[in-house]
Amino acid sequence: MSSAITSPSAKTQALRLTAFLVLTAMVALIVATPFLPNYYIRVANSLLIYILLGIGLNIVIGYAGLLDLGFVAFYAVGAYTYALLASPQLDLHLPFLVIVCIAAFLGMITGVLLGIPVLKLRGDYLAIVTLGFGEIIRIVINNVDWLTGGPKGIARLDKASILGVDLARPVEIYWLLLVTVLGVGLFVWRLERSILGKAWAAIREDQDAARGIGINTTTAKLAAFATSATIGSIAGTIFAASQRFVSPESFSLQESVLIVLMIVIGGIGNILGIAAGAAILILLPEMLRELAEWRILFLGILMVVLIIVRPAGIVPRSFGPEKLIRGLFGK
Amino acid sequence: MTLVFSNLRKQYGANVAINDVSTAFEAGMIHGVIGPNGAGKSTLINMTAGSYTVSAGSISLDGRRLDGMKKYEIANAGIARTYQNIRLFDQMTAIENLEVCAYPSEVNHTWREVFWPPYGRARAKARRESCMEILQFFGLERYADVEAGSLPYGRQRMLEIARALAMKPRVLLLDEPAAGLNHHETAELTAKLAELRSPDRIILVVEHDMDLVMTLCDRIVVMHHGKLLFQGSPSEVQASSDVQLAYLGTDNDIDDIRAAAQDRRAQLGIRARQRS
Amino acid sequence: MLGTLIQQTVNALTIGSIYALIALGYTMVYGVLRMINFAHGEMFMLGAYAAFFGLTLVVGEIGSAGAFALTLAFFGAVVAIGFFGVGVERLAYKPLRNSTRLAPMLSSLGVSLTLVTGIQILAGPQPMMFPSFFPTTRYDFMGGTITSVQIGILVAAFLLMFALYTLVNRSRMGIIVRAVSESRPTAQLLGINVNLAISAVFFSGPLLGAAGGILYASYYGIMSPTMGAVIGLKAFTAAILGGIGSIPGAMLGAYILAFVEVGGTALLPVVTNGVLGTEYRDVLSFVILILVLLVKPAGLLGEPVSEESMVYKREF
Repeated sequence: MSSAITSPSAKTQALRLTAFLVLTAMVALIVATPFLPNYYIRVANSLLIYILLGIGLNIVIGYAGLLDLGFVAFYAVGAYTYALLASPQLDLHLPFLVIVCIAAFLGMITGVLLGIPVLKLRGDYLAIVTLGFGEIIRIVINNVDWLTGGPKGIARLDKASILGVDLARPVEIYWLLLVTVLGVGLFVWRLERSILGKAWAAIREDQDAARGIGINTTTAKLAAFATSATIGSIAGTIFAASQRFVSPESFSLQESVLIVLMIVIGGIGNILGIAAGAAILILLPEMLRELAEWRILFLGILMVVLIIVRPAGIVPRSFGPEKLIRGLFGK
Repeated sequence: MTLVFSNLRKQYGANVAINDVSTAFEAGMIHGVIGPNGAGKSTLINMTAGSYTVSAGSISLDGRRLDGMKKYEIANAGIARTYQNIRLFDQMTAIENLEVCAYPSEVNHTWREVFWPPYGRARAKARRESCMEILQFFGLERYADVEAGSLPYGRQRMLEIARALAMKPRVLLLDEPAAGLNHHETAELTAKLAELRSPDRIILVVEHDMDLVMTLCDRIVVMHHGKLLFQGSPSEVQASSDVQLAYLGTDNDIDDIRAAAQDRRAQLGIRARQRS
Repeated sequence: MLGTLIQQTVNALTIGSIYALIALGYTMVYGVLRMINFAHGEMFMLGAYAAFFGLTLVVGEIGSAGAFALTLAFFGAVVAIGFFGVGVERLAYKPLRNSTRLAPMLSSLGVSLTLVTGIQILAGPQPMMFPSFFPTTRYDFMGGTITSVQIGILVAAFLLMFALYTLVNRSRMGIIVRAVSESRPTAQLLGINVNLAISAVFFSGPLLGAAGGILYASYYGIMSPTMGAVIGLKAFTAAILGGIGSIPGAMLGAYILAFVEVGGTALLPVVTNGVLGTEYRDVLSFVILILVLLVKPAGLLGEPVSEESMVYKREF
């Protein structure tokens, strides 16, 4: 009950301090990472990929309130687009940016195609059907050996390069990812505040009442699905370009579940929360490497504890980027 | 502007909820729909708003058929409603609950809003201002940035009506707006609703609170067992012996009520004659 | 031809019975808590491990265990897992009962991860041989072969499902559970002990799941820490197919799924002329599920939610 006693000005002060600390820490981390040994940069890269995936999936789960358990399918679409168009597999070697555009488009199309049959379903039924689609895509990739190489995957992918600049070393990939995450993050944040974002929130809160105020929930949900799929696909392309190898193992159901967990543990519906959730679920196991399977056990218990202690996530929905900026500049 | 029900029917299996109801609602008036529990009042609203399908007959607004349209299309045709159990967007702020109603007219500019910040800011400002006016009308402006789900019950009822108004509706359907309100809040609500009467708006109120209906409504439709029992001005309704009998609680069909009322009138008539 | 048909039918019934035992746990938990219990597949896995180690502990060598010891181990293991299920609910889900719907589901994911890793640490990550709980004899029946294990599985599964059906429909506890499934708030208002009902469900669900695990391991002669994830997903699909929350639905869904799988394995390569191999049988199951849900959005026997009677405005 201390908040009732503290004066409003003390509250703004505290908020300003928090905002300042959070921003400083974030900027410091971002700037410091390129100077660290390659191992750390690789960890940072994997963290950034997961943040990107989290931002994409959060549109569907956090904004529109639809539980999608097959998100990894779109990630696979992007990764395999790159693998097929920039490798000896089909002897195609298209430029990176062209492939990103193709992958984004294909991701969007897949999103819409998967979305049309499933969006009429409610809650849990939607969850299992998206999960089913995710598994179908993985099984197909695993078995269409002539195209995807089957379980062996596709190796020797081309280096990515933009305008003649090679993007192959971890540091280069890091900058590529950072720019993408910031760009996509800004885009999604603005999208959430737009009228479409408000409609998603309305659908999440009460889908029937949302229809009652004139929202065509099917197209609004399709838009959410398509945007999220596009982002997932772009993340897949960058992932393939950084690993220069793809195989179906990277696109298992566990991957989808991990991304859902990041979102919920971090703070559903909040981009800052996703970063926090990704940090916990990616960095912790990395830090506890020596403990072998004990770290997974520890992670499982930690998940339960975190959810019980903070069911709405570590970072509350209200503490978004907006609040951070407002807190800092006192508006 | 007229909302017309013709030979409307709603059936669940063998159970007939609405049986051959034909009536018309004119603009500029507040229409009350009353009747005992289970008379089919809410079913009428739910059918008009597209929440329930129509079994037979038709609903049309100015000659345009509404039945068979999707729920959101009906809303975009100018029909706004409130719910018997409040259905706000709980985790959105009060003003966001209203702002989102601009979706049908503004969704096509989403990309411009996202990629061109000045346009986005201008739209957001315009939306907020127009919604703030509606909130002010209902005295809710100080709750603008409070989450709807955490408002007191009475304010939530008001906010739901405000949200319906934010759709700039031609037809406003209110499903028991006074349910759960105290005397003071009901009086406030009655006053606000009276101000909403407008020549280009049809208002339909389903309500159990007879005081509210009798003071507010210009015309009242009485439902009983899914049929239309009576329609007329408040004073006509109050005078009608059919209506009185229905409310006194007979389980009989309309014809029986009419017969019983006939008997009663006959008796009264005899008595009156004897007295004179 | 007839022989193959009979053979495949018995195979499908066997697998279907095991799916049904597990699917019941998903559907009952969903009924009372509206929650997908992702840790339920692990109860299935734990059942097999508990029976195996329980028996090793008592008899030393499983091969030498008599019928009495096997029966005892079976019931000991399933009851133990039942109590374990109640304990897990108290610890990991009960604190989240008034939270969002997503929270307990993700908590159950954490439980699942913990249990799988726990068993991996305790018993090793490799699959282990599991000796059959039934004597292995083969019977020839109209050209098909039926093993005593299959008969044992069918009998055990039918008895368990019959017991559950009777309990749910005839006993006082069953009435309480059904009342809570209809509407938890109303049941609470009527003074029904909601906690008791939830505990009952979290006892019987894992119990049946564990029984399924022992039967499954007996059938295939093998168990592994990750077996729960694979079969759990199938049983969950079956529960959804039948209409989640509906007990007869879960059984129906399980048998349909099993027949689709067995039929798909046998027919897919033939029908598609070898283009689609048996690997695609899971694709076929999901396609069937999706098609059913497109026609009946609440599953085969599920109750469709009407707009005005929605208990939850938010889905998660």
